[in-house]
Amino acid sequence: MASRRIGTSEKTYLDNDGKGASEPSNITPAVPSSVIWKLLSFTFGMITLPIGTYFFTLNYVFSGNSTFAGATAAVMANVVLIAYVVVAMKEDQSERQEEEEKKKKSL
Amino acid sequence: MENELTPSFAPFFGMSGIAFAMIFGCVGAAYGTAKSGIGIAGVGTYRPDLIMKSLIPVVMSGILAVYALVISVLIASDIRPPPGKNYSLYAGFMHMAAGLSVGLAGSAAGYAIGIVGDVGVRAYMQQSRIFVGMVLILIFAEVLGLYGLIVALILNTRASG
Repeated sequence: MASRRIGTSEKTYLDNDGKGASEPSNITPAVPSSVIWKLLSFTFGMITLPIGTYFFTLNYVFSGNSTFAGATAAVMANVVLIAYVVVAMKEDQSERQEEEEKKKKSL
Repeated sequence: MENELTPSFAPFFGMSGIAFAMIFGCVGAAYGTAKSGIGIAGVGTYRPDLIMKSLIPVVMSGILAVYALVISVLIASDIRPPPGKNYSLYAGFMHMAAGLSVGLAGSAAGYAIGIVGDVGVRAYMQQSRIFVGMVLILIFAEVLGLYGLIVALILNTRASG
């Protein structure tokens, strides 16, 4: 069997002119939209939360003491970071649970 | 009123403190983001489900830039043009020290976060137990930048008080 010819009954790549009925292409994003929303909200929080807390607490909470207001802004940035770590850990756990459920169903 | 203690060139040092804080802090944050981004691009092609957890070093690098930003805003709020406020040379040097400490500590922390983020994320692809250790190392690297921020905040109170 040196070479294998293409049977005439089936269409080759060259015969397929692309005019045939094609299925609608899958355009849903590979990343689920919930993850995208999480990332977008964390980006927004990272940009606005620290600098927003600085100017808010400077005038309304600490009444002009800029050192405490700056420290509060740094703390808020770390709060965003800790929230991100917690969300990332939870995402991993939920994915593992889904995989385990799939395994149980397949068994 | 210009005298020996408040010379006309004193604001130069305070403003250089603002620039040093922002420049060096963002150099560190950029290095951390770029280096750990290389690692994420390497991991994401094989295990796209790990991207969410691999983004932690990028978020930490962003916090370094926030530290530099906070100190820059604090110093900038203390500097006024001469007739309104006599800016002393002491305050100028103090603000420069504050900017340098937060900026250089930020670039040190960004360097550590970048390398640990790159290598740690690649190792996490093969061994998932390394995640807790990687996050702890990243936190200790992040704390270096926080120390610079604390020293800068204390220096800033000395200059204004």
